[in-house]
Amino acid sequence: MPKILIVEDDEKLRNELDIFLNNHGYTAISLKKFNNTIQDILNINPNLILLDINLPGADGEYICKEIRKQSNVPIIIVTSRDDEVDELLSINYGADHYITKPFNIQILLAKIASILRRSNMGYSQDKIVTENFIINLSNSTIIKEDKEIELTKNELKILKYLNEKRNKIVSREDIMDYLWESESFIDDNTLSVNIARLRNKLGELGLKELIETKRGQGYILK
Amino acid sequence: MNFKSFIKDKLYQIGLILFGLTTIEIFLLAYPFGTFIKIYIPLIVLCLYLISIIIEYICKRHYYKNVYGILEELQEKYLITEIMSKPNFLDGKILKDIIEQLNKSMLENVNKYKYMIEDYKEYIEMWIHEIKIPIATSKMIVENNKTKATKSIDEELDKVENYIEQALYYARSNIVEKDYYIRKCSLKDIVNEVILKNKSVLIGEKIIINTYDLETQVSTDNKWIVFILNQIIQNSIKYRKMNEQAEIDIYSTSGKENGILHIKDNGIGIKKEDITRVFEKGFTGINGRMSNKKSTGIGLYLCKKLCDKLGIGIELNSIQNEGTEVKLVFPNSSYIDMT
Repeated sequence: MPKILIVEDDEKLRNELDIFLNNHGYTAISLKKFNNTIQDILNINPNLILLDINLPGADGEYICKEIRKQSNVPIIIVTSRDDEVDELLSINYGADHYITKPFNIQILLAKIASILRRSNMGYSQDKIVTENFIINLSNSTIIKEDKEIELTKNELKILKYLNEKRNKIVSREDIMDYLWESESFIDDNTLSVNIARLRNKLGELGLKELIETKRGQGYILK
Repeated sequence: MNFKSFIKDKLYQIGLILFGLTTIEIFLLAYPFGTFIKIYIPLIVLCLYLISIIIEYICKRHYYKNVYGILEELQEKYLITEIMSKPNFLDGKILKDIIEQLNKSMLENVNKYKYMIEDYKEYIEMWIHEIKIPIATSKMIVENNKTKATKSIDEELDKVENYIEQALYYARSNIVEKDYYIRKCSLKDIVNEVILKNKSVLIGEKIIINTYDLETQVSTDNKWIVFILNQIIQNSIKYRKMNEQAEIDIYSTSGKENGILHIKDNGIGIKKEDITRVFEKGFTGINGRMSNKKSTGIGLYLCKKLCDKLGIGIELNSIQNEGTEVKLVFPNSSYIDMT
């Protein structure tokens, strides 16, 4: 699992970020003391650094510059300043990305994933293999034995999400939330249509009963 | 300064001279001088006097005309002291000195307030950066503990965030200096960012969002436009019809000289009399006075102000009970392309 180092002096935010990243398939480590930051960071040798700009002692920009001298580890600067100048400066100091507080958590996740992918640290999956079917992400199909059925973009996303939460009830709002984050702004009716179509397509593979409706609660992928 | 008013000013002098000349003439007449002397003396005095005031007139007229000319051309009139030439007559010199001193003291006074505003703006910006940390933390806590209650808190946090943004841009909009940065932006990215900002409310309230034709690129400041668009979309959300499916359409069209972003809703609309005043500061109108809307009359006012600064046109059309459409007109100016 990719190691992400959180360099943030606000203790509560640091802890929450830690929990959040650990919940999303990363190993999060946080720095708690800031008196020897640069050496500490280099010793931990993470796959990615989330770096706050306003730190006690050395500031983030300086740290960024110093680390760049010795390492190519991807750095995302997290700051509450939102000046264009600051943004340009941090890119100049060698940061890979710049994100402002309060950040959109999903955007942060997406950025982490894309930067890790670029540095070959992320898992760029083409296929998700489950117990009764395979989702092929590269050409948007589901495969069971030798049968292959094409899915639309939204159907694929829904199935992928339900699969991530397999055997748990997922509310309609959560599915919509997930789709919206990937910029498909679908409404309630469209979601129903998509689910119905997805069910039919699974039906063609003999898996019709896989998605169950929990009245008033949402859906569950069994 | 015309001749008439100048002579009027000199009237007492002329009067005194004439009185003097008459008394001299009476003396002269009383003694047996030649006729030539009797005529020459008063005439020469009168002539010399007249010549002297004519020279004075020409000299002063030239100077003041020059000063008025500069004054008219100057945009910032208080800079006159820097440009006006030094007069060669006494009252002009005194006047110039007075103006200079006045100006200096006035500038000091104005600067005092300038620094105060600047200082306050800096404080506000700093405060805003500080307050963003607890908000970011709260949002993380919500994300790590998703329940009905925290989702509801998340919606409120979005509102808090918006009010804070408003304060930040209000502070920025009042400063003359330019703190925006213009570059090519994709309308699609901007629109998506704003929709995601309002995601909780939009999904929670089941509002339909239709976005299409957003391939246009515009030259503008990304953050400012996100803020502006956010205000507009929040209005669409706020003033939706409660008894009908709310829908917001966002799309762009492009003309020869500009790209236009349309934000169209099917909300309660704005009363005809109110439309012209929506960009006024503090104007809330009939819609804003409705009990549950809590309108501040700041959102659109700020939008207009920021648009003006960025050189973007903002238009609002609305039909009561049918909906509102806001258009943002981005000029494709060539000089911006070069940056």
